[in-house]
Amino acid sequence: MFTLEHNFLKVRFPHVHPSANATISFQRTLRIPDDNREYPLPAGMDRFDLRHIEDYTDRIPDSWARRGGVLLPMYQAEAMWINFNSEYPMAIKIAAGKINAVTGTFWQNELSDTQQDYVVIPSQPWIDGFSTAEEQVRQFVASRLGDGQSAEEQVTGESEFGGLQLIVYPLKAELYEIEQAQRAKQTRLRKRDDFDYLDIPAFARRSSPEPMGLGLGGKIHQSLYKDKRGIEAWDDSHYARCFIHLINSQDWKTVTGEPLPRKPIKPEQYQQAGLPWFDYYDEGKLALPGGTILSRLKSFAEFRKKTDKPDKSIQINHITQLGNQTRVSDGEF
Amino acid sequence: MNGIGPYLRTHRETLKQQDRRYSLRQVAARVGIEPAYLSKIEREEMPPPGEQTLKKLARDLELDADLLLAMAGKISTDLQAIICKRPQLFAQLLRQLKDAPDHALLRVVREITDGDW
Repeated sequence: MFTLEHNFLKVRFPHVHPSANATISFQRTLRIPDDNREYPLPAGMDRFDLRHIEDYTDRIPDSWARRGGVLLPMYQAEAMWINFNSEYPMAIKIAAGKINAVTGTFWQNELSDTQQDYVVIPSQPWIDGFSTAEEQVRQFVASRLGDGQSAEEQVTGESEFGGLQLIVYPLKAELYEIEQAQRAKQTRLRKRDDFDYLDIPAFARRSSPEPMGLGLGGKIHQSLYKDKRGIEAWDDSHYARCFIHLINSQDWKTVTGEPLPRKPIKPEQYQQAGLPWFDYYDEGKLALPGGTILSRLKSFAEFRKKTDKPDKSIQINHITQLGNQTRVSDGEF
Repeated sequence: MNGIGPYLRTHRETLKQQDRRYSLRQVAARVGIEPAYLSKIEREEMPPPGEQTLKKLARDLELDADLLLAMAGKISTDLQAIICKRPQLFAQLLRQLKDAPDHALLRVVREITDGDW
């Protein structure tokens, strides 16, 4: 079951194991330049707001209410990464507009091992974008559905769903117990663990909230790891799904009555605040090969007009190597 | 369960093994208290700090704020406000649920709906 607590999604499987719970949050971050250079991992600024969708059924389309889930506000061209926190291993599929972020295939509830279409937590602490090559993702960046730039629109030619979709499967309890016993022997506690607008024409505000999708931003050096346990390890009799509806932040006040979310950080603010860049590498894990249909999709830069200014590159002077530390910055900017 | 002091110290020291930013001094600086004060809290030479400091500690150390507050014998002000708004109803609810197992309690927690998609 998914619950919502202080802008965290909590997923629990109390009937599988008392420890089978995980926390998922969506982090505001710098939109890295889409300049064909590969960047390290940017820091997280704070969590995106999340609200139960059924609290606003009079202000959203019926089709959204039928899908259930939560609302999350994003500005046009704002970037995010997803933070996973769990001691209990789980397999998680992530899709944008029902296009799988690991494989580029259309949504299906079941896990696939012919082409691994999920990540495993806690070994995968974060996902920053669509897998486009081995050790590389293209950043999750919000785009208006209808502009043709989201991964969903590029793959299916339609803008039906938008948003983000998650499905989570817990590790089979008996395997967890075995792993815990082995870990206890080792007596080692393992602790896992805002805007540079694209030049997109101004648009008229609409009376209903504007749905957003996720497209492919700049390149980030990040590995998505191979499942070392194999597909049989996951308890397919228990799963939890969540539809995260992305709405344009400009519509947030109209829908929820709450103030507009703060604007995304600009590259110059990021640099002036001395916010860090990160690299995460674990020698013990194998990276997925990438090179799926996603690597053939266009990034935002390819949709720009020739007269538009290209993204200004960012000079990275220092990269913090991460083990199991947090990537979230509490710094003011 | 150990007291809040040893619990904080053990957790912070575990984090420090991986990341030096979790030294007593650096955690205290981020939370806005003196290192000596944090040290005394960890060694239970001082009573637990106030709600705001506990919440900052929880955020910095990636701990559950409600858990820390409970360990300190406190209830967060937002929960107090919820109970005070409908005191009889919530008092009755809590008494009725006090012995319920966790999975039964989770049934009354508001679940995120999963619809047709």
